[in-house]
Amino acid sequence: MKKLLIFILGGITLFSCKKNLSDLNQDPKHPTEVPAATLLTAAQKSLGDVMGTPDYAFNPFNLFAQYWTQTTYTEESNYDMQFHSVPDNLWRALYSQAWMVSAPNPDVYSEILSALHAAKVGLQKDNSPANETAKQNQLAVVDLLMVYAWSTLVNVYGDIPYTQALDPDNLQPAYDDAATIYDDLLKRIDNDLDQIDINDEGFGSADVIYYGDMNAWLKFANSLKLKLGMMLADVNPSKAATVVSEAASADIFSSNDDNALLRYESVTPNTSPLYIQLVTTGRKDFVGCSTLIDAMNALNDPRIGMYYTDSAEAGEGNYAGAPYAENNSYGAWSHIGDMLLDPQFPTDLLDYTEVELLLAEAAERGFSVSGSAEEHYNNAIRASIAYWGGSDADADDYLAQEAVAYTTAAGSWREKIGTQKWIALYNRGLDAWTEWRRLDYPVLTPPAGMSQSDIPVRLTYPVAEQNLNGSNYNAAAAHIGGDRTSTKLFWDVR
Amino acid sequence: MKKQSLHPNPLIIIRLLFLALLTNLSCLAYAEGKPVRGQVLDETGHGLPGARVSAGETAIATVTDDEGKFSLEVPVTTRILVIQALGYERQEVEITQAPLLIRMQVQQQALGEIVVTAYGIRRNKNDLPYSAQKINGQEITATRESNFINALQGKVAGLDIERNNNLGGSTNVVLRGIKSIDGNNQALFVVDGVPVDNSNTNTYLQQIGSVGYDYGNAAADINPDNIESVTVLKGAAATALYGSRAANGVILITTKKAGRPGFGITVNSGFTTGSIDKSTWIKYQKEYGGGYGPYYESPDGYFLYRDILGNGVDELVVPTSEDASFGARFDNSTMIYDWKSLDPNSPYYHKKTAWKAAANDPSSFFVKPFSSNLSITAAGANEDGGFSVGYTRTTDKGITENSSLIKDMVNVSGSYKLTKKLSVSASANVSSINGKGRNNTGYNGSVAGNFRQWWQTNVDIKELREAYFREKGTNATWNYLDPDYLFPIYWNNPYWNIYENYENDSRLRSFGNITVNYAATDWLDIVARAGMDAYHEQQEERNAVGSVETPSYSRYNHNYSEMNYDLIANFHKQLSDAFKLSGLVGTNIRRTHHESVFSITNGGLVIPGFYALSNSVNLLAPPEEIDERVGVNGIFAGATLDYQSLLIADLTLRRDRSSTLPKSHDAYYYPSASLGFVFSKLLPENNILTFGKARLNYAEVGNDAPAHSITDLKYPRAPFQGQPVYHIGYTKNNEDLKPERTKSTEAGLELAFWRNRAGLDFTWYNTHSVDQIMAIPVSGATGYNYKYVNAGDIRNSGMELSAFIAPVKTRNFSWMININYARNRNKIMKLPDIDNIQLVNWGTPTLNAALGQPYGIIRGTDYVLDEKGNKIVDETGHYLISETADNIIGNTNPDWTGGVSNTLKYKSVTLSFLISIRKGGDVFSVDRWFGLSTGLPAETVGNNDLGNPMRNDIDDPEHPGGIILDGVKEDGTKNDIRIPVEYGTFGDAYNPDKAFVYDASYVKLRELSLSYSLPAKWMQELRYVKNIEISFVARNLWIIFKNLPDADPEDGFSSGNYQGFQSGSMPTARTYGFNLKFNF
Repeated sequence: MKKLLIFILGGITLFSCKKNLSDLNQDPKHPTEVPAATLLTAAQKSLGDVMGTPDYAFNPFNLFAQYWTQTTYTEESNYDMQFHSVPDNLWRALYSQAWMVSAPNPDVYSEILSALHAAKVGLQKDNSPANETAKQNQLAVVDLLMVYAWSTLVNVYGDIPYTQALDPDNLQPAYDDAATIYDDLLKRIDNDLDQIDINDEGFGSADVIYYGDMNAWLKFANSLKLKLGMMLADVNPSKAATVVSEAASADIFSSNDDNALLRYESVTPNTSPLYIQLVTTGRKDFVGCSTLIDAMNALNDPRIGMYYTDSAEAGEGNYAGAPYAENNSYGAWSHIGDMLLDPQFPTDLLDYTEVELLLAEAAERGFSVSGSAEEHYNNAIRASIAYWGGSDADADDYLAQEAVAYTTAAGSWREKIGTQKWIALYNRGLDAWTEWRRLDYPVLTPPAGMSQSDIPVRLTYPVAEQNLNGSNYNAAAAHIGGDRTSTKLFWDVR
Repeated sequence: MKKQSLHPNPLIIIRLLFLALLTNLSCLAYAEGKPVRGQVLDETGHGLPGARVSAGETAIATVTDDEGKFSLEVPVTTRILVIQALGYERQEVEITQAPLLIRMQVQQQALGEIVVTAYGIRRNKNDLPYSAQKINGQEITATRESNFINALQGKVAGLDIERNNNLGGSTNVVLRGIKSIDGNNQALFVVDGVPVDNSNTNTYLQQIGSVGYDYGNAAADINPDNIESVTVLKGAAATALYGSRAANGVILITTKKAGRPGFGITVNSGFTTGSIDKSTWIKYQKEYGGGYGPYYESPDGYFLYRDILGNGVDELVVPTSEDASFGARFDNSTMIYDWKSLDPNSPYYHKKTAWKAAANDPSSFFVKPFSSNLSITAAGANEDGGFSVGYTRTTDKGITENSSLIKDMVNVSGSYKLTKKLSVSASANVSSINGKGRNNTGYNGSVAGNFRQWWQTNVDIKELREAYFREKGTNATWNYLDPDYLFPIYWNNPYWNIYENYENDSRLRSFGNITVNYAATDWLDIVARAGMDAYHEQQEERNAVGSVETPSYSRYNHNYSEMNYDLIANFHKQLSDAFKLSGLVGTNIRRTHHESVFSITNGGLVIPGFYALSNSVNLLAPPEEIDERVGVNGIFAGATLDYQSLLIADLTLRRDRSSTLPKSHDAYYYPSASLGFVFSKLLPENNILTFGKARLNYAEVGNDAPAHSITDLKYPRAPFQGQPVYHIGYTKNNEDLKPERTKSTEAGLELAFWRNRAGLDFTWYNTHSVDQIMAIPVSGATGYNYKYVNAGDIRNSGMELSAFIAPVKTRNFSWMININYARNRNKIMKLPDIDNIQLVNWGTPTLNAALGQPYGIIRGTDYVLDEKGNKIVDETGHYLISETADNIIGNTNPDWTGGVSNTLKYKSVTLSFLISIRKGGDVFSVDRWFGLSTGLPAETVGNNDLGNPMRNDIDDPEHPGGIILDGVKEDGTKNDIRIPVEYGTFGDAYNPDKAFVYDASYVKLRELSLSYSLPAKWMQELRYVKNIEISFVARNLWIIFKNLPDADPEDGFSSGNYQGFQSGSMPTARTYGFNLKFNF
């Protein structure tokens, strides 16, 4: 019997010594290190997903801009942002990670600043000489995308954690003053511009926006600088004038070919977020909104047939939008245009049309840019019509109208540029809402029972910030003048 | 009852079974029975009725009659009779030819039952210096609950069991409160000394009530009919020897084994059926139909206005896309076209009907549940060994159609003495669980949520059923997008959901052990044991082509295995007349391996109705793979020093090394010290206090980290534009983790009175769980959503009381009451850097672990109150809602829980019933949050203070509607502003979250059974059959008291840490049926 016991004892000892215990804790299915390029691709796709999604839990801004309105569940159209936790979702989608689409649709995650930050850290650690020249370009691309994301966060919330952010060792990052963040973002763009060498490699095909073309990134940097500079035009005109004229005199977007687009594939989960939300889910949450459709009908806008389908009620070739924020039946009104439902429909992050309209505005403000406001205005409209598939003749006819032509269109330059920018920024609700806040045009329709001043001019901070970062949240709320949707951002002084 | 009526078929089957067994087990040959007669006498020499007389340890038994007399036919091999009676010492007598005369001795310490403690050590309960409560197998099977865990509810003080109404649904099992903020808080299940996995594989989304099926817990695979007893070890002192996983308490299960020589067979067969408890289902208003308000095309705005017949006349059409009931008032004279008249395949096509409330509301969707069980166990033994075999099959059909859960369970165990010193034993349990049509839970998936939150009261559920069966393959639904677009906008036909979009699952499991016991000397035993628990499970889910959801098929395959190797030396030595020392030294090696693959089709299904991954429209995304191994090596020692059974001291120490911790901190110790003092030994003989013991103990146990929580990992996603994509994940891992610890102090008092007519067991405890390992939610601005840290402190303190009393005990009639009561107070004493951890986010309402508060408080928006506590309304007359959502609006923890069971016996009739009680604790009802908004419950209609229908237009010149909310205006005067009753008035849109927090208290008649054992004298005329018991069993007969309207306050989504929310709550089924038990 002793032999048996020795055998058992021996067996147990043998088993326990066979393997180092901590080796068991290695994950055989997930790596600890990956190339920075794989994180860049993830961040670029995520940026396209977040900016392009019509999911009202993340991006309700096509409603805010009154391009669309909801059919049955009208919470977001009525500016109820808490119902689907919009502030929390968008915050996490930009900063850390958010689960945007879950099974049974293939999962789609957003990971932007966190992924870019990890890519940056990875690149900085990579000291292989072979990569030295590309590394500077790669760091610049990563940083430019971060600037884009940071400016988006500021434009939505105001003060945000910035200098202390993206550091998991500091679980309660303090908020920074929004204007100070803007100053730093502009410095970073300048720094990136210095760092870019257009003769060197970038990320190559892992860069799914410009495919490694550093000249395109240089133009992107200047165009982004132009846009951020113009954001300061009302609050700090002298700084805006300097930044805008610097950017305008450098190499910026000069045609639709320069547009920063995230192009999707034909099959899920890599289709456009519009396709996922509007086609594969089968939901019919949106119809065209009368605010834009009425305006476009009045201007005989050639883009209307791309933006919307015709309406069953109005008849073939006619477009009718539903009243904003009311309970609407899907069948009666114009729907979102077929072009937007193509699985490959790209997300437009920054484009030539926008640049031309910024230049038009710069000319009106007396900033030092070449060309007249009218020239830039016309270039913008032509570019936009071309982008949506219209012809030169369409553009000519459109511009020939009294209500459109720059010299004859009604209102101040703010109204003229504001209205055309609003039309041109279709499906880019966040930018349209930002420009509406800055230019105060067009006049939007408040939902029933609300007034113009009830239309949000920012999102409140996430509920999670109240719970997880309470003292910094309170300080930030006090600093901006209250965590309300009616608190104007620092650049929104008019 | 005539004996002939009992003779036919069952007996023939049993005889055949007998033959089969006999052929295989010739060594245990069974011959004809022999009769044994006798009389049992009490201490005064009078006949003792109601005593149980059995042939050895077999089920062959009878009960003495009024005069204490008995007669029993026992197998010829049986040499010993066992006599047991409440309040008397157990007696064993040898069978003689002459009638037996047995005098019983009064038991001095009736609580002194044998309980199984850690590592299978059997101890007398009187000697235990810590709290342990034992439940016998009969109590578990009394009402034929197929999941034995549910049958423990209300029977153990401090064992908090929360079940839900899902078929085969998961059951939350927590002892003495939540100890781990982020980790597992479920008790450890141990069968015959070997841990058995009880995890549930429900997804995170399912657990937080979003969407997903409830697949139940794995411990439901344990065969209730094979359970001899269950011992619940609640505190750390009792469990410290189990190391890492014992912090949450242990449920020790001892399976049935062959005992003393003899042979017996037990057959159980029964069925239950039932109906839904209407108090747990919504009562619909019958006055207004589908719509959100007067927003549509008809002149009054409540209907679409379309030329349905193509005759140029616009007609009223129900706005089918609108999933609310704030539409037009029902009126038999209004003729409308509804969903069924739009469907060209319907016999109602293009036929107008009157606008009226549905004849069959969704309560008709639920059907009678039915379950049946058959179980056969056989056991036999001789001097050298014994065996036990069992087979059980249970079939459950749920309260929705197309749902079933079938369990087949086989158990084999045996033991054999190889030599005088060496014996071996083994047991194997194999179970096969097959589920189909479990219900989809939560806000986004459940049919019940559809009915409770988003429904049109004009829709007749039977017409939907007819439409589904008439038009199989098409999703003809009430929720068409538009008369011009006949496909569902948000909701499928509910029958489509259960017949087309169903899940199915299977789990094949085996667990068991092999044990070698070597009695080295008379004071030393060495036990070597290898235990295994392994299962494979598969879950398949589908969304058919034609559903609202993207058509899909997904498949989840999960393998789990756990091996445990124990080598233990047990010693016991009488040191002197007064001192006795016993103890153990041992080692435990544990290896668990958990691996799974999940894959889902991408972009739809090519061939409708064909469910395979290869049927995906687009290429599959990479499957999600999980592969986790955990190893723990432990050594332990324990000693018990007993001084004259007066003072008993226990000391234990265990050291574990775990693979999940960083190498530098991977070893840790669990000490415990306990003292028991049987003070009644010092008291003079008396007739009042029979037994008294005080206990005091201190222990520390710990939890290791989850696998893979030390180093940061990257996660692959589908490549984009041909480029590989990795994500960094949302949780920041931590290289500095150390084990979390629970420090526990416990004191207790056990008393028995009046020769054990009454007794109580009281325990007070206080635990601190410190250095918690948790993935705390962090501000997204950190770049992560969660981070693993080692911090925090949760205190649980509470008391438990279990008591029994036998108010009546006469010859023919006895009444026994058992009471269990527990209260636990949980408080979060420390959190790392933050003052709140958000556990679940439902929008503004959230479930939280907040500093200084109990785990599981509900935060959200609240009313704004004036100094006097009046609710303030704004200028529109609606309640002001707090600007912030961090107000504490509820606490999900009960104040106390309890159970009272009564057993009444009259001759051979036994009636027992269990009342279980939960006092306090809150639940947030998502069902009411939205259901009141959409105008479904009856309380959303009726007359206002003016006597007019409150849904009337507020500006109606003759009969204005609207209501005035109870409250004050901002200037402090009483509210007099009339608000319209419209979508949202009573629900989420215009009310703070606080309005939907309800008290989850309940008093339930949980179990009832009435059983009758056929008289022993009838049995004598039936050869072989020793006992027949017929019983009526019932569960959930009556919710005596509750405060939550329209739902069962106990219902939840899943087991786990996220409790206290309801969305799509299933109604509770009352079940009742019959069971027949034969002993041979």
